[in-house]
Amino acid sequence: MGMMKLALTNFRNGYKNYLSLMISLAFTVLVLFNFQNILYSDAFETLGTRNKEYVDMLVQIISFVLGCFMFFFIWYSTNVFLTRRKKEIGIYVFMGLSNDRIGRMYLIESALTGLSALVLGLGLGVLSGGLFQMILLAVSDITVEIRFCPSVEPVIITAGVYLVIYLFFAAKGYVSIVKSSVLNMISAARQKEYVRQKLWVLAVKAAAGGAVLGAGYFLAIKPAHGGDAMANSLGAVILVTAGVYLLFGGFIPLLVQAAAGNKIFLYKKQRTLWINSMIFRMKKNYRTYAMVCVLMLCSVTALATGFAMKGRYDTIIRFENTYTFQLLSRYGDLGEQAEAVVGRDSPITARSFVPILCLDSSMVNSEYYSSRYAIMPFSRLRQLAGAMNLDMDFEEPKDHETVRISHPLLMSLITDRSHVTVEIGGKEYSQILDTSVPYLGYLQESISFYLVNDREYERLRPMGEEWYTYNYKMGEPERFAETRERLDLWVSTLEEGSTARVAIDPESNELDWVKVLYSICIFMFLVFVLASGSIMYMKLYNDAFEEKARYQVILKMGFDREVLHRSIRAELAAAYGLPFAVMGISSFFSVKALGNMMFADLSWVNGVSAAVVFVILLFWYELSVRAYGRNAGL
Amino acid sequence: MNENRNETRIKTAQIKNLTKIYGNKGFQTKVLKGIDLTVYKGDFIAVMGPSGSGKTTLLNILATIDKPTQGTVILDGQDITKASNKELSRLRRDKIGFVFQDYNLLDTMTLQDNMGLPLSLSGVPGRECIHRVNKMAAMFGLTEHLQKYPYQLSGGQKQRGATGRALITEPEIIFADEPTGALDSRSGRELLECLRMVNDSGQATILMVTHDPFCASYAKDVCMLRDGLITCRVSRGRERKEFYDRIMDLQASVGGDLTWE
Repeated sequence: MGMMKLALTNFRNGYKNYLSLMISLAFTVLVLFNFQNILYSDAFETLGTRNKEYVDMLVQIISFVLGCFMFFFIWYSTNVFLTRRKKEIGIYVFMGLSNDRIGRMYLIESALTGLSALVLGLGLGVLSGGLFQMILLAVSDITVEIRFCPSVEPVIITAGVYLVIYLFFAAKGYVSIVKSSVLNMISAARQKEYVRQKLWVLAVKAAAGGAVLGAGYFLAIKPAHGGDAMANSLGAVILVTAGVYLLFGGFIPLLVQAAAGNKIFLYKKQRTLWINSMIFRMKKNYRTYAMVCVLMLCSVTALATGFAMKGRYDTIIRFENTYTFQLLSRYGDLGEQAEAVVGRDSPITARSFVPILCLDSSMVNSEYYSSRYAIMPFSRLRQLAGAMNLDMDFEEPKDHETVRISHPLLMSLITDRSHVTVEIGGKEYSQILDTSVPYLGYLQESISFYLVNDREYERLRPMGEEWYTYNYKMGEPERFAETRERLDLWVSTLEEGSTARVAIDPESNELDWVKVLYSICIFMFLVFVLASGSIMYMKLYNDAFEEKARYQVILKMGFDREVLHRSIRAELAAAYGLPFAVMGISSFFSVKALGNMMFADLSWVNGVSAAVVFVILLFWYELSVRAYGRNAGL
Repeated sequence: MNENRNETRIKTAQIKNLTKIYGNKGFQTKVLKGIDLTVYKGDFIAVMGPSGSGKTTLLNILATIDKPTQGTVILDGQDITKASNKELSRLRRDKIGFVFQDYNLLDTMTLQDNMGLPLSLSGVPGRECIHRVNKMAAMFGLTEHLQKYPYQLSGGQKQRGATGRALITEPEIIFADEPTGALDSRSGRELLECLRMVNDSGQATILMVTHDPFCASYAKDVCMLRDGLITCRVSRGRERKEFYDRIMDLQASVGGDLTWE
């Protein structure tokens, strides 16, 4: 029988073995293809060039992340697969085949598996591409007509990335087989991962893990500015990932070994079975636990980012739409005329008027650079807040104090907001608060406002020029265009340069890309949580075969299946529970860091995200328990 | 005189007309053809027979792993042929100990945990488990090996450990299936000495299946099984050596032309 024929026969006969690998690989192909498809789809073009550019940029970043994910996923799954196959194909040694020929046979089988997965993934991707975009846009609350027109480019890019990675690992498997000894090959499927590791090694690893993880947590929540914050975030990601690996390589084995050492504890319920079983496989499995933990952490953080983006988007939209039209004028007596023009086509539902002191940018020295600065008196702002029914939960600033009136940001790398000072007209003020309550709506985005008490305002008055703001909100947004036209006409009759007009279209979709980002985050969450569940499932699925003989012994000893089922449940609960627990602690810090950057308290988001992950893991757990029992012959 | 001696002893297992037929109508193989055997408390019986004589089938039925086609097996006053699966599990757990040819120690746990496994899974308190494991380990000369994993033990140590595990629940009867089959002669001898010791001290009633006359010579009685029937039964005198010779003679007369493995 030729090599090709033998490989084909193996592939056909053992398709069940290949199926789980193929489905996993096809899943990664499907995910990458769907994202690439967005780049070449016209669905997002209708949102405008700016939105499309932002979405494309996001998709490129996510594609890179998914490429990395694909790399690790293929690495992991081909490795598991190779270990299982090694023993089987090792038998061929006794049939006189050389390692090289066995390696080539493995390559052919791998090629068949890989190509089948590629075809399956791309096929599903082409079929579901439109649906994916539809779901993405529906979740983003954007209405666009989707056309079914798959393009060639995403197919080529996805296939290219996948094949490069896959062939690399297939070649690595080939080399591993060629270099393997016969003994190694035939005993590979049940490598003895014995068992108790040296206590001092574990203790060192555990201590290092704790320190590294602690340092990662500290960096994640440490307040910082700009570049430092970026470096901190990157450092935190690296340290937390390394810390999780060390923790699972040191602390967790130490913990279970200590549990096994305490016989009074061990000899209760079915602990002697499942704790010993965990220890037995810990050396082999801890990387999987760590990987699953990191993936879960990514998924919770992705979901929290999505929720936070949504919340931020809603805040920004509410903020920007506080007023529909705003006038900034040298004249303080335009109120009646302006109101007549704005209110002609639509009733005015909210209005405010407040003077501001515009300063030359050279008069202000602040860490937030702005080309326009303005000062507001406390008493006038209080009047405005009262009229607009807006919160103003701070006291009048003292003579050396100021309140910054800013606007909501989507995200900021300045997380250190303590001890901020600002120099106005040669005097240093301590910034006691930074608020984004929309007292002056959109104007707060283009002008940097500082609030001082009335005395200070009067003192600063000679240093700048007093301008007046007139702010109106329309009751009928659909009349926006007509009103803007009329307002522009009226403003043009005033002295040139004396009055500026701001118009905020309530129907504007300028920020729709944020909504897309929100949906992408949710999608990434699903990808990560499904990946972490499937990796754990694959691992346990394979582990279960090793238990078959052991469980038969215990059954022969007269213990019924229920005892073994309980042991399986406990062991799998620990296998899922430990990564989840470490993720739970770590996510507190990652989400806290995210909250600092997004100016939001995301603790509830953290709770909800972790709860969602928990529910999905519960599903995987139940699935694993069934598969484990089945494969272990129960 | 033998009958009189038996009348005063306690019956541990009573086998009556035990028959086992494999296959469907027209293609049936009668493996056991109506076996009668009574095992009394304190017995150490070896069942010998050539390949295909039905040794393993007999042991599997007695060990409640298989069901007979006909006949009864009374164990601890209960007919196991009519017992439910749950009752059979309870019997296996509480009344029967097994010693397998390939030890069947769990490679995931230390010898100590292996020996304590039947107790801990039965809910015996931890301290009591530890006490009984230590006692058993001392009896089988395994005290210094308790913290080792099976892969760190020799075949003989593993089999002694497995025997200790079988005895730890203080079962009514021990079923041993070719217990020395995977051991070298020295380890086999050590194990058999242990089995004889626990039997002599009244701690175990043993029914052992073997094809090895040397192994059988450690028993008190040997039953020869051929073509599904017990063809003869011999009892040991004082000397094991003399008993061994008798078994050899018997083996030659019963089936010298057959394969004994």
